[in-house]
Amino acid sequence: MHILQRNKLAILIGLIPALLIYLVFSIIPIVISLYYSFMEWNGFGAMKFVGFQNFIEIARDPIFWKAVKNNIYVVVASVFGQIPIALALALLLNRKIKGGKLFRTIGFMPVVISTVVISLTWNMLYNSEIGFINRFLESIGLGSLTQNWLGDPKWAMISVCITIIWQFVGLYFIIFLAALQNVPSEVLEAAEIDGASGWKRTLFITLPMIWDSILIAVILCISGSLRTFDLIYVMTNGGPAHSTEVMAIYMYEKTFSSMRYGYGSAVSLYIFVFSLLLIWVSRLLLQRKSR
Amino acid sequence: MLKKILSVSVILTVLFLAACGGNGEETSSGSNDGALELTFWNSWSEDSPENDVMLERVEVFQKENPDIKLKMESIPPDQYKTKLKTQAAGKQLPDLIQTWPGAELRPLAEGGVLMPIDDIIGGWKDTLIPAETLEDYAIDGKQYAIPGNQVFTSIIYYDKDMVAKAGFEEFPTTYEDFKTLVENLNKEGINPIALGNKAKWPLQSVYISTIADRLTGSDFLEKVFAGEAKFTDSEFVQALGVIAELGEQEAFNSDANSIDDNQAADYFLQGKSAMFLNGTWALSGLISNSPEDKNLGVAKFPAIDGGKGEATKVSGTTGWGIALNSDLSDEKREAAVKFFEFLYSEETYQALMKVGTLVPATIEVPEETSELFEEVVELTSGGIAPVYDAVLPADITDIINNGLQAISIGQSTPEQVAQDMQNAVK
Repeated sequence: MHILQRNKLAILIGLIPALLIYLVFSIIPIVISLYYSFMEWNGFGAMKFVGFQNFIEIARDPIFWKAVKNNIYVVVASVFGQIPIALALALLLNRKIKGGKLFRTIGFMPVVISTVVISLTWNMLYNSEIGFINRFLESIGLGSLTQNWLGDPKWAMISVCITIIWQFVGLYFIIFLAALQNVPSEVLEAAEIDGASGWKRTLFITLPMIWDSILIAVILCISGSLRTFDLIYVMTNGGPAHSTEVMAIYMYEKTFSSMRYGYGSAVSLYIFVFSLLLIWVSRLLLQRKSR
Repeated sequence: MLKKILSVSVILTVLFLAACGGNGEETSSGSNDGALELTFWNSWSEDSPENDVMLERVEVFQKENPDIKLKMESIPPDQYKTKLKTQAAGKQLPDLIQTWPGAELRPLAEGGVLMPIDDIIGGWKDTLIPAETLEDYAIDGKQYAIPGNQVFTSIIYYDKDMVAKAGFEEFPTTYEDFKTLVENLNKEGINPIALGNKAKWPLQSVYISTIADRLTGSDFLEKVFAGEAKFTDSEFVQALGVIAELGEQEAFNSDANSIDDNQAADYFLQGKSAMFLNGTWALSGLISNSPEDKNLGVAKFPAIDGGKGEATKVSGTTGWGIALNSDLSDEKREAAVKFFEFLYSEETYQALMKVGTLVPATIEVPEETSELFEEVVELTSGGIAPVYDAVLPADITDIINNGLQAISIGQSTPEQVAQDMQNAVK
């Protein structure tokens, strides 16, 4: 350790491989896409410089703003759905219960399953003609509650969000569980002696002690939700009538179906800026709380 | 210690750079056993009678020509088209590329990634394939491929018994009667039309291509791009309105926008729906998968009152063709031509017809085809209307695809979608 710390050169050389990979696959593409975003380009023909035309056109496209709105919807659903549920589950399963291990495995399962499999399975559950959910509602006499879950613009986004929550609860559940197990038992015992038990102990001792993990979970959750693509792409393809379109799908459609690579690059820069903004704001909010 | 770290990181860096530089070369030279290797991408991945025929033909070619090795990659059609565009942008196309005429071919040809084949088509022109059919694969006067099949995108497959039960012994020939049929079927508790529009192209390619033709006539798209007509003209708006009407009538299954066209075909075959609109590409699958007692019929979209088009026409285009990468060496090109001579032959076209695929070649219909296939041949002999996504540029196709989906569930109006399309015309 000592040699390493003293020798800056060694540190630098050690960093080079990772740095190179990071540069080539993350930083340089962002710069290239900035360059493309000022062009009108179909992917392989001649490029034409159009200045800020792409950015202006995006800002004027109501479908883009619909995609932004849906994306915020996903972020909100994830942050206020996944994290509280995961936290509650983690608090419940952090004690010795019969079958605790089994529940942990079950909770983590959706994280391991491929997104495409999840999407197709939930598609079948949601299907309005042959789907399990509607059939079940009918069979228990609640036929009036059946909906065209994915086909009705009113319900499509809600249905998709439920699946997203279901998919990632397990991930945050494991993060919280690990954090909870790192809370030293002395502290908890001391709290117990001071008369803090049950809810009080959870609220004033346990939660503040794992606050850093919660902060990380929230940031992961936000950045993950902003990137969301595969699940929605397979489940609804952004439809019906753009009602489940998110920014990444909008970008994909414009780039690879409409073949407007310049325009698509400009959209991806918007996504980049929005993500940075949102993460910055959420950090600001949560960090103040922790002090 | 430092030396060790240094050497390890140098090795890692070198390895990394070597890995970067090395890719892309593996496909360029011949394979190890001395045979000339040609990479070939196509969309023959699904298990369909037509694809089986093509794969079988490729296999025979391999046996007869051990000195040429075709390295194939087969990808489902929807994904294939996306992959092609992405790889073309990265200039990483294979030697042989399956493509489609019109909007698919044009950007590739104009981008200069394909090689013209004008010097070799003499052997096909007007002997096996009519010159005007070949023309579909010509961009700016240069020929890029030879069509392998012929598709009509808009056939109504229907269950004769169900339609009879709804009061129609013969399939309706006017749009008014068609609407009555839909109404009657709904009254009988039968879903009128199975639609799988998740991928968004069916309502456009299958429905609008023919429906709009009934109203606007076949030269409409040409006129729009020449500035002599507009998408906002009442005929075209009325055509989009047909989809709105069908949506209002609940002609489609309720999950239409969350299933794909294969699942819709299943609904039809299972007897949940009385009609299924799709292209001739669905024919072979429908014939081989339908239950014995199913009484299948085919029809075309009925005439619409006051329309400018001829009701005998069905929207269609020449189907896939195989194009050459513009970077091909002479040696590889020669091998590719040999493959073309084998593939675009009477044998292949005969084999395709036997499984119910229409072909662009002027050959006799083989005897052992099904009755339904002959009916389709008869049905499609009344003239060809343009297919929208084969003619429209990609961005307008995108607008109409999404727009039709919105219209079908009452989320947008025909006027609005027509306006959006017109705005995108340059």
